[in-house]
Amino acid sequence: MAITGLGLWVEGFPNTVAWRGGSADPAATKPAGQALDKVNRRRAGPLGRGLADVIAEAVAMAGVDAATVPTVIGSAIGEASTMTGLLDAMWRHGLPMSPAEFTVSVHNAAAGLISISNKNRGMTTSLAADDDTPAAALLEAIGLVVTRDAAVVVACADEPAPPTLAQVAPPWALLAAAVVLEPLRPERPALAALTLEPQAVSAYRGERFGELLRSNPQIGLGWLVDAVLHGHRGAVPLDRGTGRGYAAVLAPGSMP
Amino acid sequence: MTGRLVLPPLCVTGYSVLSALGGSRAEHLAALAAGRTGLGPSPLPLSFQTAVGAVHTTLPELPGELSRWSTRIARMVAHLLAELEEPLRVARSRWRPERIGILLGTSTAGADATERAYRSFIADGTFPDRYDFLRQHTFGAVLHVVSALTGAKGPAWVVSTACTSSAKPLASAWRLIAADVIDAAIVGGVDTLCTMTLTGFESLQALDRVPCRPFSKDRNGVSIGEGGALALVERRGDARVLIEAIGETSDSYHISAPHPEGAGAAAAMREALAFAGRRPEDIDHVNAHGTGTRLNDTAEAKAIRAVFAEPPPVVSTKGFTGHTLGAAGAIEFAFAAYAIEEGFLPPSLHAAPLDPEIQLPVALQTTRGRFRRVLSNSYAFGGNNVSVLVGAP
Repeated sequence: MAITGLGLWVEGFPNTVAWRGGSADPAATKPAGQALDKVNRRRAGPLGRGLADVIAEAVAMAGVDAATVPTVIGSAIGEASTMTGLLDAMWRHGLPMSPAEFTVSVHNAAAGLISISNKNRGMTTSLAADDDTPAAALLEAIGLVVTRDAAVVVACADEPAPPTLAQVAPPWALLAAAVVLEPLRPERPALAALTLEPQAVSAYRGERFGELLRSNPQIGLGWLVDAVLHGHRGAVPLDRGTGRGYAAVLAPGSMP
Repeated sequence: MTGRLVLPPLCVTGYSVLSALGGSRAEHLAALAAGRTGLGPSPLPLSFQTAVGAVHTTLPELPGELSRWSTRIARMVAHLLAELEEPLRVARSRWRPERIGILLGTSTAGADATERAYRSFIADGTFPDRYDFLRQHTFGAVLHVVSALTGAKGPAWVVSTACTSSAKPLASAWRLIAADVIDAAIVGGVDTLCTMTLTGFESLQALDRVPCRPFSKDRNGVSIGEGGALALVERRGDARVLIEAIGETSDSYHISAPHPEGAGAAAAMREALAFAGRRPEDIDHVNAHGTGTRLNDTAEAKAIRAVFAEPPPVVSTKGFTGHTLGAAGAIEFAFAAYAIEEGFLPPSLHAAPLDPEIQLPVALQTTRGRFRRVLSNSYAFGGNNVSVLVGAP
């Protein structure tokens, strides 16, 4: 499997160029959602905006068509903030439910908004597997790449759990990451070659990510993006030690 | 240059269903054949009138070591797994645990547990001791329960694409088996009734005040239901039915309204037919998404007419179970399998008098016959479309 595109958003670093450059941009506090059209940007929260931007970066880097590429989105808690916002409105404030908010409370709201903005009428999906979400999204994509013999974009993101759940949900910071996978072809340059292994020992440490980012269930895809950007070879863990131990094993590609 | 593998069909070696009609195959077949709805008053207190498809089957308690994971959705899954005990035993003897995947779908996950806990939090500022966000709310929590109850250790995830959630895992399994990642999978999905969901559909003015009437000229919205279905799919085995192919598309039109011409829905049906190498005339029956809203049924009817020069008998089973949202795809896959195995179609409940704009052969009575191939449609918020082509072995 070839990795041909990457995308990343973490606070201070709104794309992979900024991340590789290493200087934080203090203005980059929330994903801009530039990849969404105006209507859908208004509908999207930070999760959807972050996913849209990392997908846009990754497909542009890979040179694949955002209007046709199958899209796999992963998120452990999805739109939990929207859900608790609706519960607060209903039960704390006695307000009628907003139909617009309700329609974007589903886990696949981001997938829908992105497919509408990109005019993509192909396959999109949205999945979750707690800390194994990055591995699950990559496996879903591998199934698509193998059976369709075409490029697939994988994007994972989780925003922090809403503040009202602070008693019961662990803290983390927003992270969104994306990779484009394609069949390995000798004539097509790749950033790296990827295989997935259920258990692999890894020397990769991903120390640039702070503690609140390392606590994000999607850190595994962030580590994968960072490892490819920095030419790491070998195994990269796809969970933070609390999943099933999947690792991405990277072999040299041919950086364009 | 890209191409597509021709994927072999999936062998479905067992399946189980839980809905407002009951918890067993016998209860479902009896209700479907008799045209007996499971819709009735809501067990959740609501400030508006609507009928719902509530599950009344007594659900098993989880074993003590899984008590932190105990939610209604997890207990529904435990019930469905118990119904699959024998084919699961055979599969475990045939495949290694790490080659058996767990690929499920849900739109609500543990939202009902979070709703109850959140009410308590709003009332007194604390969450109940028994509430565990990571083991009860998250979409992936139920995967641990399935793995613990079955011993399956393969790739595991939950698809959450609203009302196509439990149809898409069938496609995931189809691909993973073709790609030689796994040999078998427990697939399907579950959803529970939630106050937020019911209130949300009310806010969209999408709930009928009486039991839903898909394809009727009097239809006026959906009835929400709960339940689930699981299937055991294998690379090879003693198949009860086959999953021949699955089509998946997006409308790219609107977050909650269907494309008015049903373009994405038609594309999903065509994709399933193309993947299976079938022609429209090979299909003997369509289990429609058929929610009962004016826009959805009209768009789906246009899509079916666009694909089929002579549409086969069409049934919406939502008049029996309600719209079970994230569980609908799996439950209606099972009803498609019933049609093939049992040789009958249930009536499309409450469809009479038919809307003349629908222009489809909607079955108004129980129909006996030989049904070799059935398309089961599911559509969702986000413009997500899935068509599952189920065939006789």
